[in-house]
Amino acid sequence: MNPLIDQLSVAALVGGALAFFIVRFLRKRAAGKNCGSDCGCGTSKASKAGR
Amino acid sequence: MASPVSTSAAPSSSREVTRYVAIAGNPNCGKSTIFNALTGLRQKVGNYPGVTVEKKTGRFFGSHGEAMELLDLPGSYSLQVRSPDEAVARDVLLGRQADTPRPDAIICVVDASNLERNLYLVAQMLELNIPIVVALNMVDVAEKNGVVIDIMALREKLGVPVIAMVATKGVGLIELRQAVSRSPLPPPTIWTQMPIVLEREVMGLARQLPVAPDIARAEALLLLTLHEAALDEVTHHDRAIIEATKAAQQRLGTAGIDPISAPVDARYDWIGQVCAAAHHTGDSHFAASVSDKVDGWLTHRVWGWVAFLGMMALMFFCIFTVAQVPMDWIKDGSDWLGKWVTDHLPESDLRGLLTDGVIAGVGGVVVFLPQILILYFFLGILEDTGYMARAAFIMDRLMSKAGLHGKSFIPMLSSFACAIPGIMATRTIENRKDRLVTILVAPLMSCSARLPVYSLMIAVLIPGHSAMQKAGIMLCMYLLGIFVAFGMAWVFKRKLLKGETPMLLLEMPPYRMPSWKGVALRMWERSGLFMRRAGTVILALSVLLWALATYPKPSDPKATPSEALAQSFAGRMGHAIEPAIKPLGYDWKIGIGLIGSFAAREVFVGTMSIVYSVESKDKEDIAPLRDTMTNEKRNDGSPMFTPLVCIGLMVFYVLAMQCISTVAVVRRETNSWRWPLFQIFYMTGLAWAGAFIVYQGGKLLGFH
Repeated sequence: MNPLIDQLSVAALVGGALAFFIVRFLRKRAAGKNCGSDCGCGTSKASKAGR
Repeated sequence: MASPVSTSAAPSSSREVTRYVAIAGNPNCGKSTIFNALTGLRQKVGNYPGVTVEKKTGRFFGSHGEAMELLDLPGSYSLQVRSPDEAVARDVLLGRQADTPRPDAIICVVDASNLERNLYLVAQMLELNIPIVVALNMVDVAEKNGVVIDIMALREKLGVPVIAMVATKGVGLIELRQAVSRSPLPPPTIWTQMPIVLEREVMGLARQLPVAPDIARAEALLLLTLHEAALDEVTHHDRAIIEATKAAQQRLGTAGIDPISAPVDARYDWIGQVCAAAHHTGDSHFAASVSDKVDGWLTHRVWGWVAFLGMMALMFFCIFTVAQVPMDWIKDGSDWLGKWVTDHLPESDLRGLLTDGVIAGVGGVVVFLPQILILYFFLGILEDTGYMARAAFIMDRLMSKAGLHGKSFIPMLSSFACAIPGIMATRTIENRKDRLVTILVAPLMSCSARLPVYSLMIAVLIPGHSAMQKAGIMLCMYLLGIFVAFGMAWVFKRKLLKGETPMLLLEMPPYRMPSWKGVALRMWERSGLFMRRAGTVILALSVLLWALATYPKPSDPKATPSEALAQSFAGRMGHAIEPAIKPLGYDWKIGIGLIGSFAAREVFVGTMSIVYSVESKDKEDIAPLRDTMTNEKRNDGSPMFTPLVCIGLMVFYVLAMQCISTVAVVRRETNSWRWPLFQIFYMTGLAWAGAFIVYQGGKLLGFH
């Protein structure tokens, strides 16, 4: 595999994972909610709406 | 059983809401079942009083297609509240809740098998000046108990529509929807005859209140029935109103009327008249005797405990035996996928990320899905059959010795699934100190996220042993969590949050056949949440952990995998905390696992998968984690995962906080950072001490 493509793919995946946590944190802060949306506790918007 | 109404639910509809309807009623009368059936939405429906503590709304459609918003209120016995969740119901009905409009109509759910007690709340609802439809639920249970209710007579006496229902079977739902759709709904009539002097004082106070005229009387009556201490805590009225209330109470006292008990007596007088006309009891001897006989065993001082522990042991036995086959399928699938990627991609970092990071990390956690499903299957059945209340009764004897309130049982039991709903369920506890103690110890209950860690460590500890032995060790871990929780509660109650614990008043719901559909739905919902978590948080964490365990790469291209891991960011972090964990028998690689799982316990398994896959990257196959860990050696050649290390790690995870979502919920529920920080500190200390005692104590006794 081309080393450049290899490194770019890895960087994109790792960057995506980091971005996931940053966006998650910002969304929760904006919504004023402390609980994670996927912990199963039933406090998320999705759980409240029953979806 | 399919509901005839649920098919029409369309929560995403943009049609304007024509009516805002609240569902209210005593705990455990079937409110949530009716809510689910009307809206088609799913939520937890249990037998124990007080399950509904969250605000739940949904949309449903009337008989002419008009959209209505439905609000499921927390269960309450009266509007004289005793706990935070009852206060929510009262505040919504009085229009005090800022984020919720005052309902246009109330569906007041009444348990037909407990008519007299349930009518007390109806009497208060009728005083609120909001149109009411009474849903007389569980008429089948009432009939089985020999109770016959004259619906026409009840309708006449209450002056509002009364619909006979069996919500679990969908009986009466169409009639209920039609009744709620009526426009306009008949206004309620206040039937309770208060003493004239009291009525005069109520109206006098009502005129002074700065609230809408239609709720002024109800507000005034609620104020007049408050004790002096409770009056001083009222914040939603001016001081002048409080003083006027106290003056009115004094005048009533002088007139020989107790303002607190007089309205209660008046309501029960009216309830007596209603029951005399509409409630007839027949022969309930047989049903009562069977139920009593079963209770005689299940709540017995000795046999009750035998039954309780037996059920727990059976649950863990099934977790290890029944779950094994699907677990093997998932593991084979994960291994096959890893091999396929290895075969089709050339040697590169991307291949390493996909096989050692994504597949090993996510696969390592997903493999425990069958065990979690079985756990929820058992919890669902125990809840649906009504056994949970009996378990609460048995546990109360033990809990009261630790200074815990009997109502702490449900939060603690819920924490076996997840500490977050457990902590939220503490809202049913009236006393603030009792509630705080429960919040502080609830995360010590072994939640489902610990299950993968226990399973992995037990597999490393006793490979090839019988499922019974494995279940025994698992049961010990669960019991350890329970006993440490009680011990810590005892300490907190005596040192930190002193105060008397009120006695437990518990309603025993009748034994019922579990709703298989409900149990299946709950398992489906939980597996969906678990898989979503595996596909999002755990996937992202696995990618990051792989990167931390891979970069920076060693400058020497001939470095062994172990040397490469040691030089990575994760290796450096593991080395940094090694002095603190060395006394526990752990090395820096386990340290990586502990750091990686700080946000969520189950990530430990995925982290270990990544650490050991990264280390053994020369292999063509992804080696099974258990075997890799079993063969792992220390620098001196001795095995790394000795029995003491395995047990110590399990004890660490029983006692450690290691869950960022729980920290956030404790922060929200206690409204301060003080308690969650204290909780992290004490639980981490306890976990370290527990693992230290196991490892060092075991070594002193000659074990290894």
